Amino acid sequence: MKPTSRAGVLVLVLPAVLIYAFAVVVPFIGTVGLSFTRWNGYGSPQWAGIDNYIRAIKDTVFMSTFGHAAFYIAVTLILEVGVGLVLAAFISAQRFTGFYRIALFIPVMLPMVVVAVLWRTVYNPDVGILNAGLKRIGLDSGFVWLGDPRTALLAISVVSGWVFAGFFMAIFLAALHRLPQDVIESARLDGAGEVRLFWKIKVPMIRNVTLLAVLLCVTGGLQGFDLFYVMTNGGPYNTTEVPTTYMVKSVFRDQEIGYGSALSVLVTIVGLFIAVGFWYYQRRRPTDVEY
Amino acid sequence: MRSSLKVITHVVVAIYAVLALLPLAWMMMSAFKDNGAISLSPLSLPTSYDFSVFADAWAVGGIGQYAINSIIVTVVTTTVVLLVSSMAGFALSRLQFWGSKYVLTAMVLGLLLPIQAYFIAQNQLFEAVHLKDTRLALIVPYTAIGIPLAIWLIKTYVDSMPKEMFEAARIDGASDLSVYRMIMLPVMRPALVTVGIFTALAAWNEFLLALLYVQDESLKTIPTGLLAFSSRYATDYRMLFAALTIVTVPLVIVYVMFSKQITEGLTQGSVKG
Repeated sequence: MKPTSRAGVLVLVLPAVLIYAFAVVVPFIGTVGLSFTRWNGYGSPQWAGIDNYIRAIKDTVFMSTFGHAAFYIAVTLILEVGVGLVLAAFISAQRFTGFYRIALFIPVMLPMVVVAVLWRTVYNPDVGILNAGLKRIGLDSGFVWLGDPRTALLAISVVSGWVFAGFFMAIFLAALHRLPQDVIESARLDGAGEVRLFWKIKVPMIRNVTLLAVLLCVTGGLQGFDLFYVMTNGGPYNTTEVPTTYMVKSVFRDQEIGYGSALSVLVTIVGLFIAVGFWYYQRRRPTDVEY
Repeated sequence: MRSSLKVITHVVVAIYAVLALLPLAWMMMSAFKDNGAISLSPLSLPTSYDFSVFADAWAVGGIGQYAINSIIVTVVTTTVVLLVSSMAGFALSRLQFWGSKYVLTAMVLGLLLPIQAYFIAQNQLFEAVHLKDTRLALIVPYTAIGIPLAIWLIKTYVDSMPKEMFEAARIDGASDLSVYRMIMLPVMRPALVTVGIFTALAAWNEFLLALLYVQDESLKTIPTGLLAFSSRYATDYRMLFAALTIVTVPLVIVYVMFSKQITEGLTQGSVKG
């Protein structure tokens, strides 16, 4: 339809466009621009060409942040998407699901900082319930979970799993609920056991939802910040340094705005590559079941 | 289903749920214990229930002020996102005008851009226009972040509605603005609820920008405020647990009351995004 008046269209569309342009588009272009400069926030930025990018690639701490993010993503894929799928399968087989649906989703509602402060205390060697519980069952570890380079990253990944397993469970439950019952019934009549039915029929049928869950988990993992900043802020010995904590340190602690911007651009490119890769993969293999 | 399999699934889910809820139960229990009991016997139940610690955390510890700030930021952000996105979503769905394609493409690209892609220059920009350490320093970016997904969800929703609805009003002589106000706003409600839930929770929980843009104690929202609180009361575990309980319990109550809408809103929001 044609609009009744041009002014009307402007009134409808302009507020959203202006806010978005001011707070996202302009800053995005600005960040790309700053990535080619040397600037400490005072005076004017000095042109630096691609120096920041060369420095980033040689920066072993920055490169290690991708390794840490990859580890974090691998663990959370198991603890969030994997556990979420299993929980959904187990819960959908039961009659009274309301309690679990609600109880396991609660952590998703909480601010990540609240979760991080709570779990920092859970892991606390003096007052935390983790060591207290281990002691109760005879494993007096006295372990400093977040202070030990061998366990810190894993400990943080577990917290992320605690939060999002319930979230992915909810997504999978909704998807399983939408499956056409006649297909499942006929497979059952053909004598397929429940386990086989789940892996051979239901899981392939919710393939698109699973793919999306994996994408959310991977891109979310690459952007992780809150848990890391509050629980370890990159330590001990940079073993939990992830792209965003390192970026924030470069800009706000070291005042290296140009360098931080280059890191930001690199991380964004990696994220976009992953998203486009998923999109390609999904397009190449059309869905078997539409719903 | 075979009964042995059913029993196993029951047991596994029950054990998982107990383990998952344990930290929250421990947090609430510990708020009633004194610091000696918290560190000497972390697993014991409280011996008495004294609620004054919550009043202390709220008033003396400043959680009350953080909560007020979070409410203001969240309410303003959500209202503005709903208003501007419903207008734009309607126009992009129903009206053909020059530039609509570009706006839509920019919004879809916006769905792919994480905060990390632009917060550095955004910080410089906000500093230059003296936005930092004001409530707008959070309201403006939270609104902008919410807009692409909101427009997308609302546009898709309006797309699915019958054309005749608008054409009839048009023939009666209504302008686009009155079609939006009289017809669209009421029928969009389900999409607005989803967008509202998604936007409100994102604003309530956001941390990175709040950490960078607001240093003023009296303007901090719950995430940054709680972090400041946790360093002020680093060894006063009772107060810390009380503060954690205060910010957790209302969210749990809200969730239990509206669990269906919230689960749908959050999962739909991220699935479409």
